[in-house]
Amino acid sequence: MFEIYHPPFTTEAEDTEIIVEKQGDDLIYKRLFRGDEERELVLLNNDGDIIINPIEPVNLPESITAFLMVDFKRSAMIRPGDKKKIYLKFPVEIGVFVTDKSRKNYEVIDVFTLNKIKYTLYGSHTQGMICRHWESDIYTEEPDTDNLYEGFIELEISNESNHQMEITKAIFNAYGMKLYFGDKRLGMKASMRIINKLLAETDFSTYPTTSRFKRSMELYTARKLAITSTKGIMEFGT
Amino acid sequence: MSNNSTISSVYSYIPALSDPFVQITTVVLVLFFTILIAKGITIYLQRSLNDKMDKEHLNILIKSIYYGAIVIAVVGVIFPYLQINTSGLLVAGGVVGIVLGFASQSIMGNLISGVFLMIERPIKIGDQVNIDNKMGFVEDIKIISTIIRTYDGLFIRLPNETVFTTSITNYVANLTRRFEYVVGIRYSDDADEAIKIIKDIIDKEPFALVNPGPSVFVDTLGDNAVNIIVRIWAPVKQWYDMKTRLLWIIKRTLEENGIEIAFPQRTVWFASELNTRKMPDISETGYDK
Repeated sequence: MFEIYHPPFTTEAEDTEIIVEKQGDDLIYKRLFRGDEERELVLLNNDGDIIINPIEPVNLPESITAFLMVDFKRSAMIRPGDKKKIYLKFPVEIGVFVTDKSRKNYEVIDVFTLNKIKYTLYGSHTQGMICRHWESDIYTEEPDTDNLYEGFIELEISNESNHQMEITKAIFNAYGMKLYFGDKRLGMKASMRIINKLLAETDFSTYPTTSRFKRSMELYTARKLAITSTKGIMEFGT
Repeated sequence: MSNNSTISSVYSYIPALSDPFVQITTVVLVLFFTILIAKGITIYLQRSLNDKMDKEHLNILIKSIYYGAIVIAVVGVIFPYLQINTSGLLVAGGVVGIVLGFASQSIMGNLISGVFLMIERPIKIGDQVNIDNKMGFVEDIKIISTIIRTYDGLFIRLPNETVFTTSITNYVANLTRRFEYVVGIRYSDDADEAIKIIKDIIDKEPFALVNPGPSVFVDTLGDNAVNIIVRIWAPVKQWYDMKTRLLWIIKRTLEENGIEIAFPQRTVWFASELNTRKMPDISETGYDK
């Protein structure tokens, strides 16, 4: 499904169907779920392509946060000073972009997902943050994933504290997310630096997990003069 | 070294007051450094408070500090240096101050309250609040008054003194909010099944938070119904939409599963058997025509 399409076209995944029809110089975009129309748009005077890509999973049903929390089904322990690579799963959201002929300019026109969406609070009611919630097991090697539903995060954890640490969750900032995808798989590469019992920091790598993977389009892009931080700061414990 | 010699050595560095050129130069220098320092402070404040205060209030604060510093330098440093007697000025200022103080007592009260409101920041523009039993959105916080737009679209101007001295309920100050339903089902229905159905509905709702989690439990065995309490936490901006939507979904889903919402009923038992008489069918009497 994650491809560049030249209209008119129809594509289907699970119960979701995307139809783009030409009507003179205009395009009609339709998304159907089990035959029921969920979104329809008229793209006026449009002769560009449509790109369907995985995007940062924090946009649905409306964008209220830039943070994704992966809750570990089993907690993990790491020794002081130790480094360890683990794999987690994360939910996939699918973005539909319209581009101009040069494919340099693009705009998102639709976002959908095949997953269940839940949100959670991390930290206190006054100082904490609302995060998209996802539960994942911990894997020691790349897990099998269906790229319409899930991707995997290759997470390198380093415990810089002087204590044995228990990790139960990881928080990632959508502003730093770099998604890479292949034909069947989708992955991100991230790191977690545990500073002390209450403080940890996550960040993303700009390299793909596999060299064959392509970089996905981003909705959340941090500017060079970073007013918005790209790191996930976990100041209420891991 | 004696005290007298120390003082005389300090005085030796102060330029002679009789020389007008030195006097003017000193005054200009004092003013120059005062303006320089005041400018530095205001630039620092502008940078550090830019995100924390709105532009209008920040401008007032910055101007007050800037001109205040110049006035202090003139009255506190330059006048004594030029040996200008400020006692007359002080007496006149005192009298004017008393007169102005009485005249503008409430304005000053509101002004000071406004400054404290800006420092304490219990409310922000756009917040949903209840101040002095006036509920609505904060439209503006000015130096003297606060403007509220009520939920039915009225404009209310509250003096800042009232805002500062009364209790304020800010409905959106925290990240999350909880709401509650009481769902009364019949005694003949299965409460466990009802709880499971309600939990499933909440689980499908994206903004019903995982943590803090919802709670659904049988609260009371009422006169007419088994009362189930449903408590759900939601992000503060989504809670009202959820609250208005979920109850009907719960009612409809329970009924689709054969669980009825109870209504007040009373079963009457008579001590002795009643003498009842069977009435003829209404169609036989012909009255229905």
